[in-house]
Amino acid sequence: MEGAGRDTALEVRDLSRAFGVRKALDGVSLEVPSGAFLSIFGPNGAGKTTLVKVLTTLLNPTSGAASVCGLDVVAEAVALRHRIGLISHNPLLYPDLTAEENLLFFADLYGVQDAEERARELLEAVELDHRRLDLTRTFSRGMLQRLSIARALLHRPDVLFLDEPYSGLDPHAMDILDHLIAQIRGEHTFVMISHDLDKGLQLCSHALILASGRVVLYEERDALDEAAFKETYRATVGMGVA
Amino acid sequence: MDGLAWRQFKAILRKDIVMELRTREMVTSMGLYAILTMVVYQVALSEAGASLDVRLVMPGLIWVAFIFMSLLGLNRSFVHEKDQGCIEALLLAPIDRPVIFFSKFTGNLLFLLVVEVLSLPVFSFLFLQEQQGIANPVWMVGLVLLGASIGISGVGTLLATISVNTSGRDIMLAVLFVPLMYPLLRAAVGATFAAVIGGPASAALFWGWMAWVAAFDVIMLLVAFALYEFVIGA
Repeated sequence: MEGAGRDTALEVRDLSRAFGVRKALDGVSLEVPSGAFLSIFGPNGAGKTTLVKVLTTLLNPTSGAASVCGLDVVAEAVALRHRIGLISHNPLLYPDLTAEENLLFFADLYGVQDAEERARELLEAVELDHRRLDLTRTFSRGMLQRLSIARALLHRPDVLFLDEPYSGLDPHAMDILDHLIAQIRGEHTFVMISHDLDKGLQLCSHALILASGRVVLYEERDALDEAAFKETYRATVGMGVA
Repeated sequence: MDGLAWRQFKAILRKDIVMELRTREMVTSMGLYAILTMVVYQVALSEAGASLDVRLVMPGLIWVAFIFMSLLGLNRSFVHEKDQGCIEALLLAPIDRPVIFFSKFTGNLLFLLVVEVLSLPVFSFLFLQEQQGIANPVWMVGLVLLGASIGISGVGTLLATISVNTSGRDIMLAVLFVPLMYPLLRAAVGATFAAVIGGPASAALFWGWMAWVAAFDVIMLLVAFALYEFVIGA
């Protein structure tokens, strides 16, 4: 995709995605610099998850273009998948494998060189090393989410996508996630979908509001008038779905 | 297949085997189905008397049981991937889609062959005790099993991928799978019949039907290979 600077992590140009006659994304354009933390807000059905699915190569756009780390999401999808990680509200883990087996499995898929060492290091980071030999079906929601973070970081991605990562977490698990994000913040670009306005604004360097598949507001956090932003957000929640 | 693709292939296959050894979902359900079907066959044939040479109907009975048994297993093969969105994690990985197909296909083939090999002695015990047995060498039956199972697993893996995202996946898989299996079923029954009954023309008949089985396998594997990227991403 032409025009993306070397320090641009995400570039989206006039991106649309339709499901039948319904447009989930309708001409979205934005640019996110490397190292930024983008929080995406919007009502249910606004197109947030569809945007993340297109940027993570899980869905092809209907029209327009998008690149992540300078790689086109359609033409260079396989190369791009080496550079991105996703933490979803679903843990994306196999319940009948142990925590360690899950990580080693995904390490094989990503071709991680020092797989066992990396898995051990991440299990310690998410405070699950004592449960490494337990099947993940015995894990609580918070533990699954922590292991999901380890899975997403295994291959040292440049851009980390978080789809409502705090959803269903207890306060302790939220603290651990906060701590982990703070630890790795400088090394990655983050794109987070959130329904929690305060949490999203607290973490972000850039904020985006989507509604009906369109960009309602996109600004740097420093330039943001928080009261006006919250007002705009509340107004979009009443705008309905795309 | 490059180094990473080979590593990915082994990882998915190993994962499927480990999970099957822990849950025994596929092998148990297929094995139970096979045994129950044979019990039903025995009841159905109970009034036929000693005059019936079971070998004449044995190839058909076996392959009908194996086709429907494989439906059960194939339905289960993608359920693990749907659990907690694991299919999404697979699709997020830098993996060529045909690698996913071949690893899932190999796992399904392995599980199917295990159940088939375990079921045949039970079938022989129930039906062939007082009969003459198999006229030609047993390896000929083994070759039909392998050839037909490749076709069943290849088509089944592709169709299970399609049907896993549909609401009525059990019926959807059956509706798509059974008609597509017809040519393979016919060839497998023909080849098994030639192997079991024997006779002067049996070798030529056997290899003729095996050519059909091989052709089906090659065509269907190529079709599945070509379509898999589209199917799994849909």
